[in-house]
Formats: sequence, C-alpha cells, structure tokens
Amino acid sequence: MTARLTALALMAMLAGLPLTVVPAPSLYLGALATLALVVGGAGALAASVPLATGGGALALIEYALALAVARPGPDLVTGTAVGLALVLLPASVHFASRTRGAALLPPVLRSQTRHWLALVALGALAAAVVAVGGEALAFALRGTALPVVVAASALGALTAAAGLIALVTSPHHD
Amino acid sequence: MSWRPTALNLSLVTLVGWALFLGVLTGRAELMIAAVPLVVVLTAGRRAKAPTASWQISRQLSADRLIEGERVTVTVTFQGREPLTLVELFQPLPPQVWTARGRHHAFFTVGPGELVRWTFEIACAGRQRLRLADLHVRLWEPLGLASAETRHHEALSEVAVYPHVTPFPRPPRPLRTQTFVGNHVSPAQGEGLEPGDIRPFAPGDQIRHVNWRATLRLGVLHVTRHHQERNADVVLLLDTLADIGPAGASALDRAVRGAASLAAAYLARRDRVGLIEYGGILRQVRPGAGRTQWERLLDTLARASVVFTYVTRDLEMIPPRVLPPQALILALSPLLDGRFLKAARDLVARGFDVVLIAVSPVAAGRALVAGGPVTDLAARLWAIEHRDYLDALRREGLTVVDWDSIEPLEAALARWHRPRLRGVRA
Repeated sequence: MTARLTALALMAMLAGLPLTVVPAPSLYLGALATLALVVGGAGALAASVPLATGGGALALIEYALALAVARPGPDLVTGTAVGLALVLLPASVHFASRTRGAALLPPVLRSQTRHWLALVALGALAAAVVAVGGEALAFALRGTALPVVVAASALGALTAAAGLIALVTSPHHD
Repeated sequence: MSWRPTALNLSLVTLVGWALFLGVLTGRAELMIAAVPLVVVLTAGRRAKAPTASWQISRQLSADRLIEGERVTVTVTFQGREPLTLVELFQPLPPQVWTARGRHHAFFTVGPGELVRWTFEIACAGRQRLRLADLHVRLWEPLGLASAETRHHEALSEVAVYPHVTPFPRPPRPLRTQTFVGNHVSPAQGEGLEPGDIRPFAPGDQIRHVNWRATLRLGVLHVTRHHQERNADVVLLLDTLADIGPAGASALDRAVRGAASLAAAYLARRDRVGLIEYGGILRQVRPGAGRTQWERLLDTLARASVVFTYVTRDLEMIPPRVLPPQALILALSPLLDGRFLKAARDLVARGFDVVLIAVSPVAAGRALVAGGPVTDLAARLWAIEHRDYLDALRREGLTVVDWDSIEPLEAALARWHRPRLRGVRA
C-alpha cells in the first residue's frame, strides 16, 4: 500500500507541475492534467505498470504543452524533477504489483527506499552534468543555424532511443 | 541463472521516447533533461552483477499427518552467502489448501551469511496426500529491471490429510460375531456379563451363577447362563464409482468421513475392521485391529477417489481373508452407479450381513449450483425420488439407512433399529 500511495503522490505531482508553468489557468491543460491524473492514479491504485506509464506519458505531453504555450525561460531543475518522478512512478508501481499479496519482511522497504534514493541522487547528478555539458555545447555551437541544431538533436534523440532499445533487448550477462 | 528484463524496461523506454520526441518537437531543454534520469536508470539496471545461486534453502513441515481442517506450519529458512537485495519466495499451493496464517509468498533482503526464517500456516479442506510443489525462488535486481528465477526441490514434503472423524459411541451391532473376546453380545452362551437362558444346575456350575429366584419358585437349583462377549469383523465397502459435489464436500468425501468414523468406533470396541474401495481401482485392506490397522485404513481412505471405468468388478474375486464370511458389511454409497447396488445385492444373496448406508447425493449436488426457487424445487423433487428409490430397495429386502450427509451419521443410524442378538441362535 505504501508503494501505491507513493506512486499516487508522484502522479499527482507530475500532473500538477505543468499547471504551475503557465501564468493563467488553461482549460486544455486542466483537462489534460485531469486525464493524466485519472489514468496514472488508476495505474497507481491498481498497481498496473502500463496504466501508470500511460499516465506518465500524458503528464509529459501536458508538460510539453505548458512549456510550448507559456514559453518560460529554461528551468532545468523542474525538468530534472519531472524526470526523477517519471523514474520513480513506474518503479514504485512495479514494486507494488509484484509484492501484492505477499509478506514483506521489514528490511525490504528500507532496502528499496535506500536504492530509490541512491537512484534519485544519481539521476539528479547525471541531469546536472548533462545540463552543464549542454551549456558548454551551446557556447561552442553559437552562431550555428537552427535547422542544423534541430536536425542534430533529432538524430541524437533517435540514436538514444534506438540505443536504449538495443540495450534492453540485448543478450544478458550471465 | 540469468537475468531477464522485466516490463519495467519497456515502461521506462516508452517514457524516454516520449521525452526525447517532445523535446525535439518543442525545442525545450527541460524535456531532454527529464529523459536523463530515465536513461541513467536503464543503464544502471543493465550493469547489475550476474546472479549466482549462492544460498541454502530448507523447507520443513510441522507435521506429516493431519485431520481435515487442521493446520500445518511451513518453515522456510534461507541463508545467502552473499548479499541479495531482493529475494522473492513463492510456495504454490495445491487445490483445497489455503494459508490459514501468514502468506505463501514473501519478499526479503538477505545480508552476507544472514539466515532468514519465513513461516506460514496452511490448512487443508479435504483429505488428500498433500505434496507441496517446488519452491519458486526469484532474485530481483534492486530497481526491478531484471529478475532471475529458479526452483528449489525439497524431498520428503508430503503430508497425509486424513478425513475428519466424529465420535461414534454406538455403531451398528453386527448379527454375527467372531471367536475373540470383544464388546458385542454373542448369541452363543458361556462366560459373559449379559444374562441369557436359565437351566437346571449341573455339576461344575459355579454357585455365583445360581438364580435364586428361579430356584425358590421351582424348588430345584437353577443357574443363569450368560451370553459371551465377542468381537466382530466389519468390512467397510466404499463406493468410488461415481461422485457428485464440490471438492471437499462431495458425496464421496462425506462417505469417507462416515467410513472413518465407523472404523474408529469399531476399532475402539476391539473389532477387526477392513475396507474395500469399490471403483475403478479395487483397493482392499484386510480386516485387522489396533493402531496400525487404523493408520492403514486412514491412509487408504485419504487416497479414495473416483477412477472412471466401464468394468464391473466382481466381489466374488475378493478372497475370504479380506471379506470374511461372517463379517458385517457396511456399504457406503450415493447410489449413483447401478453397479455398486448390484454388488451389494450379490453380497446379500451370498448371505452376508449388509447394511447399505445411502449417502444422499442431493445436498452435495445442490452445493454445486446457485440457490433459487427452481433449484430448491429440483432438489426437493430429487430428494423425494431418492427416498422412493430407497423404499423400493427396502421392499427388496435390503437393509438401507438413509443418510442425508448433513446430520451426523450416528443420528441416521439411530433411527435404524436392529433387534438384540439374544433371540438369534448362532
């Protein structure tokens, strides 16, 4: 139950965070936030990883829409927080789904919490490194045409996604 | 053992894809940054150390024999040689078995050399030879991105679940007795407690047997004779040709409980009790007495089950040492298969003392379907038809006891009165 409540709180945070980005309340964003909360909340309560992932994806779309509408200055802290919440949401739901109906001996929750906190720290550090690296890259590429940057970033994103899929589906180390 | 990726990987890859796609689409760095922790987690999950089966597991049961409804404690001890972040143990349970206390599925963390003890209690609804399946052991990568699974086989993990026995102070009296001392009043006269005939005094008679009232009235010494107290042979004939009802409460289960109760009652009275399971498999237990015989009977009753067959077994093939000529035969049957009735009729025709205990299939059959006015009506009609059938059997000369299997068997047998043996000549 603890893991499910944690997931529900994370989902609420993910759905609510984009609403703080826009200066005035928006009907479309509100509807999208509600939808994300309903889908992700159902996933959290039912311990369903696909539903929780759907809720997370909807929250990401909502966040992107809020950023596109409000066009605020770069806020990498919020981006990192969203990323960390997106990690913990499916992880906690997955934990809840596999431990449902099972006896959890006391050190298990402590051990899991320790691992998740380590993960959060590692993710935050990696995001900070990437942000600093990005700043350095932006300084180096100053004056480059926008289409070239967009094309390069799209290619980079595609390569990253393909690399991840290959990583996950590759043979395992025994 | 090797790691296998879990569904969580797909979930995280999906979110990474969405973050990168939306980041490129909107040109916002925040979305690209949001993807970074996800990528880090996925990469970290792939770097987990290869699992090794470096542990010791043992599973122990608190008892190897149970009565239906009783509990047995399962204790699993797990000792890891190296630290294991998350270990999952799952004990599959066979049908009619449930956890009475605790869970049969557990997660724990093990330190190096640490011993973890996990206990839970299971209860069994029905008689069976309970064999616990292999224990499933699953190791989880700390973040749940991969798991490795194996099974642990434990020998000697069988529990015999015996049928429930109800006390039976007065089981049906047999018509004929055997030669050994027991608790049944024999028609034969000799040493005993039960007074019998009165006859004139003869040399060798003991003074304490003199009947002074008859002596005074008749003017000649008379003695009271006594009935001998002897044991009896009882054979339980169990119908396993057909069954009806839910597992644990079927007509056969009820018949088995009745048979076990009768066996316990007769064995307590120093009678010899045997068993014939009349069905697809003809199992036999020779009549015997004592504790060993009781356990032998329980073992056979625990295994009793319906095995379908087209073959009609002939009880004439049963040797006399299993079916002694003067035995009381208690036949327990729901009377769903005509072959059993034919066998009972044959036994009666051969001069056996047969009491047919008709276990009503109505209650067991009704438990299979949802209640309602139509079901109630059908059950009542079936019960009437069943009673009519039993009356027809009685008119044929069979001794039939109608047991609805809801009330105690003793109550059903109490309604059936067998005359005292005094008047019967051996």
